Amino acid sequence: MSLNALRIIWRVTRLNFRAQLEYRSEFLMMIAIGAIWQVSVIVFATVLLSRFTGMGGWDSSDVLLIPATRMLAHALFVLFLGRMHGVGRHIQEGRIDTYLVRPMPVHRQVQLEFFPTNAIGDMTVAVGLMVGALSRSQLDWTAGRITYLIACLIGGMLLEAAMFTVVASASLRFPAADYWSRWLEELLGTFGSYPLNVLPRAVGGFLTFGLPLAFVAYFPAAVLTGHGDSTGVPYWLAAASPLLGALAYLGARLLWRWSLGHYTGVNG
Amino acid sequence: MSGSIEVRGLSRTFHTTVRRPGFLGGVRSLVNPERVAKEAVCDISFDVAPGELLALLGPNGAGKSTTIKMLTGILTPTAGEARVAGVVPYEERERNARNIGAVFGQRTQLWWDLPVRESFSILRDIYEVPKAEHAARLKEFDELLALSSFWDTRVRHLSLGQRVRSDMAAALLHDPPVVFLDEPTIGMDVVVKEQVREFLRHQVEERGRTVLLTTHDMTEVERLAERVVLINHGRLVLDGTLDEIRRKFGSTWQVRATLADPHTPVEPLPGITLLRREGPQVVFGPDGPTAPTVHQALKQVIERYEVTDIALDEAELEDVMRAAYVQSEVRVEDRAGGA
Repeated sequence: MSLNALRIIWRVTRLNFRAQLEYRSEFLMMIAIGAIWQVSVIVFATVLLSRFTGMGGWDSSDVLLIPATRMLAHALFVLFLGRMHGVGRHIQEGRIDTYLVRPMPVHRQVQLEFFPTNAIGDMTVAVGLMVGALSRSQLDWTAGRITYLIACLIGGMLLEAAMFTVVASASLRFPAADYWSRWLEELLGTFGSYPLNVLPRAVGGFLTFGLPLAFVAYFPAAVLTGHGDSTGVPYWLAAASPLLGALAYLGARLLWRWSLGHYTGVNG
Repeated sequence: MSGSIEVRGLSRTFHTTVRRPGFLGGVRSLVNPERVAKEAVCDISFDVAPGELLALLGPNGAGKSTTIKMLTGILTPTAGEARVAGVVPYEERERNARNIGAVFGQRTQLWWDLPVRESFSILRDIYEVPKAEHAARLKEFDELLALSSFWDTRVRHLSLGQRVRSDMAAALLHDPPVVFLDEPTIGMDVVVKEQVREFLRHQVEERGRTVLLTTHDMTEVERLAERVVLINHGRLVLDGTLDEIRRKFGSTWQVRATLADPHTPVEPLPGITLLRREGPQVVFGPDGPTAPTVHQALKQVIERYEVTDIALDEAELEDVMRAAYVQSEVRVEDRAGGA
């Protein structure tokens, strides 16, 4: 990416943020929505810490690292790459057509359409949860562990982005496919906080190899807390979660590119 | 850079699923869908010279927007080839985007939440236009489109006329040699329409831009275009000047003359027939495919007869185009029947 491209991204983001600020009540409401959306995770964390000593053979403090990682990766996704949700609407409104006549990648233009104010709410909850998880953690947070955690957060963000990019790519051909993104978001939110070994084997298998949710937070947390050998997949595979996130995102972007080449639009 | 458009045998087929009627039909379609191919554009060829304004006309669903989408790089054709300012648009989308400006009347390319001027400056950065050049062009566009009265307003608060004028300016700020306008004045009031037309005329005559325009507004065509390409059912029906189209389809002109001598014998003129005579009043009309234009007929009548008064009734372009559409429908039906 060129320096000019980075400058444009920064400029548009800044302008979009300023535009959101001008509608004060809408701005505050969006932040609140972002935070309230995560209420199920907050309830889960509260119940976990107050009622249980552990789950699936993990200590509560270790389990807490799963929703914290998942939430922070999700907040990063919403902030940086989350606009793929709206691609179906962009197609129906013909906005993709206008993006295609500008000398800028369409994917980037979709991301720069508006500033995701709700990400501030997501991020606030996620950072709070991560601080809570780290302060209760019994682990020795060496530089290596911290680096791996950061890599996992970026990998988790990219993996979530990859899943939504795949749905958005399908929307380019079948706009109704956009509905799948709601189902996907619901599923990631529902199962993302649990050690998957507490779920039936088939469900755990699906959330590992069907929908790779396990690679977002469960496997990274397992590797960090010393449960990496009991996840049901080889240790190296669980440890490679950040790399798989990056590869999945790369693959999804190639699919997006291919799908744009076969874009048929709407209304002739 | 040459702003020509070359289109050779361009075709685009869409595949859709046909829904069978009734509930059971719906279930059958789900289990065993019937796929049909629809030729939105079929083997179209035409050229637009640099600095020319061409009106691409046709009824709704004729294939105009699909043609424009292929020429702007939005869609890839299923057959044929197109070059816009020397670039194959669907193969080099971003390079093509630097050479063209596009306005789609029903949608904006501006940032919805930002003031118009901010959108302009973002586009300046995207197209890498030098600041001084951008400022000079903005000043010129402001003089023609009166943008400064609303350019600090957010796009979402603009009226349709203000929004389209802003879009028009946004499409040309990077000085593209080729401009595509898909129904740019749809839904606008007459004053703003005229302002936009004046702007377009200026861009073609003074700046030498090549413009491809689709519209259903025949006044717009008459005021702006010298040449017209008519398509229907995805096929090219006619490519010619407005005069040629009038000659071919506008067979409803009449020249009414009052002869100085009411006893002068009147005979048909080349391509002109005598429709009726009442004393000194004679009415001429076109005769056959070689009929002259109404202006040529007027000249012939004046040269041949001594007249004290003369008037003409020319078919409106809208009537001419309606006749052209109807004839093209018949031709398509004949072709389908033949097949």
